[in-house]
Amino acid sequence: MDVFILLLEGIFVSFEPLNLGLLVFGCLIGLFVGAMPGLGSVNGVAILIPITFIIPPTAAIIFLAAVYYGAMYGGAISSVMLGIPGASTAVATVFDGRPLAVKGEAMTALTAAAVGSFVGGTVSVILFTLFAPPLAEVALRFNAPETFALMVMAFATFVGLGGDDVPKTIFSILIGLALSTIGLDLITGKPRLIFFNIPGFLHGINFLVLAIGIYGIGEMLWTLEETKGKVQMSKLSVNMKEVGRAFGALKKTIMAMNIGSFLGFFVGILPAAGATPASLMSYGITKQLSKNSKEFGSGVPAGVVAPECANNSASTGSMLPMLTLGIPGSPTTAILLGGMILWGLTPGPLLFTQEPEFVWGLIGSLYIANFFTLVLNIALIPAFLMVLRIPFAILAPVIFVLCVTGGYAPTQSLHDVWLMLLFGFAGYILRKLDYPVAPAVLSIVLGPLAEKALRQSLILSDGSMGIFFDMAEKPIAAIIMYIAIVLLIMPAFGPLYRKLFKKAQTT
Amino acid sequence: MSVTNKITVKRAEIVVAVILALCSIALMIKSAENRITWNAEENMGAGFLPFYLSLGMLICTVLTIIKFVLKRSPQSKDDSPFIEAEAFKYIAVTIISLVILVLAIGYLGIYFSLIFFLAFYLRYFSSKSVLFISVFSLITPVLTFLFFEWLLKIPLPQGISEPLFYPVYDFMYS
Repeated sequence: MDVFILLLEGIFVSFEPLNLGLLVFGCLIGLFVGAMPGLGSVNGVAILIPITFIIPPTAAIIFLAAVYYGAMYGGAISSVMLGIPGASTAVATVFDGRPLAVKGEAMTALTAAAVGSFVGGTVSVILFTLFAPPLAEVALRFNAPETFALMVMAFATFVGLGGDDVPKTIFSILIGLALSTIGLDLITGKPRLIFFNIPGFLHGINFLVLAIGIYGIGEMLWTLEETKGKVQMSKLSVNMKEVGRAFGALKKTIMAMNIGSFLGFFVGILPAAGATPASLMSYGITKQLSKNSKEFGSGVPAGVVAPECANNSASTGSMLPMLTLGIPGSPTTAILLGGMILWGLTPGPLLFTQEPEFVWGLIGSLYIANFFTLVLNIALIPAFLMVLRIPFAILAPVIFVLCVTGGYAPTQSLHDVWLMLLFGFAGYILRKLDYPVAPAVLSIVLGPLAEKALRQSLILSDGSMGIFFDMAEKPIAAIIMYIAIVLLIMPAFGPLYRKLFKKAQTT
Repeated sequence: MSVTNKITVKRAEIVVAVILALCSIALMIKSAENRITWNAEENMGAGFLPFYLSLGMLICTVLTIIKFVLKRSPQSKDDSPFIEAEAFKYIAVTIISLVILVLAIGYLGIYFSLIFFLAFYLRYFSSKSVLFISVFSLITPVLTFLFFEWLLKIPLPQGISEPLFYPVYDFMYS
């Protein structure tokens, strides 16, 4: 009962004029920052932290959390409208969001993203309120072996993500992982795969370079081939019938909402996991469990809802270890944590008792931020749709400008812009030959996390792979690993199952 | 018969698979510059993961080639052109103009390069008036400058045009 009284007080705190104003403003800024390719929630929060020194800590955290929330949705806007993920958390949203927009159903895609984000956000805040202390303890038990097992499960779900061609899908995963090993080896410090001794390779390949190359340059080349530069991308109208149809399409996405909300929250609370693996896993699992799994990738609302639910849910989840343990669950929460220290607060279990107004004000504001993000998103859909009415010949060079600046900005190196162009051209050719490009992008994001966890685990076990399958010592890792193996071999049994099923039907 | 008609999907599939196989072998050789062994005493060598990931890539491309030879993949039976002649023209112009843009960024700086890139691209692909193209080509780099340099304080490359921006910086930071 105490929890509900504290929550009510928190909600009242977030309704104070300054807090509410900052909350709405933060959501708007977040939408914009998230939609810009090359900028994500982490950039937005980092840039805005200095502004928060002139306001009280509670208002500051409410403002930055709203930016974080808004950015989670903002990434979906560019994924759907331009085919470029605004941030890594929105990579999976491109898979079905973009085809929906190309089919002329951008309204459905944007509504699915808005409602999915709202559902994921709300479910996770409720879970956050109810289960904060016990879940923090479970998350603490996730060490390197469990994290690696989780990553293997994420890769296993990717095998189901591509087309039917398993060798091409696995090739795509492996090339993403190989690209992620470029740079200095994290254990020995030795340089790896430094081609032609070009110093630019020493800092590795930023996932954005590959993502913007494939989904920006590659997508534009693909569209250029389809349209031959003449026709507009889509002709769209916004009316009540369209709005009704968009909401109607969401009836079939209940399963995706459930998977995204709960999986997203759980993955979000794990340190070093965060919203990106959550959204990718949510998409993969929803696809594998769906009756219409073959339609995923061609534009189904569930393919937008699953990752959007998960990334919003995970963003709330990642605040849990930040507040209760002082461990950030994502890069953005790491910056928020830094902000809390700068504001004179000590993150950890004592925060709940010493600064209840701060903690519950933040939790209360998440409920309100969810509502305002939904309202703002739905209200701004006509503005987003205007992007699609721009003739392709004008939109394409603007996207190229965004790609070049977005590829340059993170590392401020022209080397990365060249790499981005190379990946764009290669991605375009490979996509034409049915090589799924999405798993490569997903692997380059998760590769460093997976390698670190694998090597830490092997150091722990004196080089024995048995650590991942030891039910007595590491039951969580073992269970996740066995699930991953089942997911990996599932496609191999698919044709056999279909054959048997057909035989049973005919007899 | 034009060049684009000669490059069929079938031919592209095998050529790309062979190129990817060669790239995988090159990656394996490059990875072997570091230790590629792994045992309990020495732990994992720096080249171990990239080497075996590249080996996995090689196996996948060999499987793709086998599927091609056995005509098990849709591409192995597809004699249609890999890219149509008209579309090829657009793609080629886009790729060449992007390469020139990035080359120009290193020398002229991003803002002036963008003006030329946008003016050329819009003139080539759109039927807009010269006035529209001029205004659009000038406004986009200005907005890019304001967003990155003024709002985010992220400097973009300016090449030989850098001295021209000194008065603007003086105004912004005075």
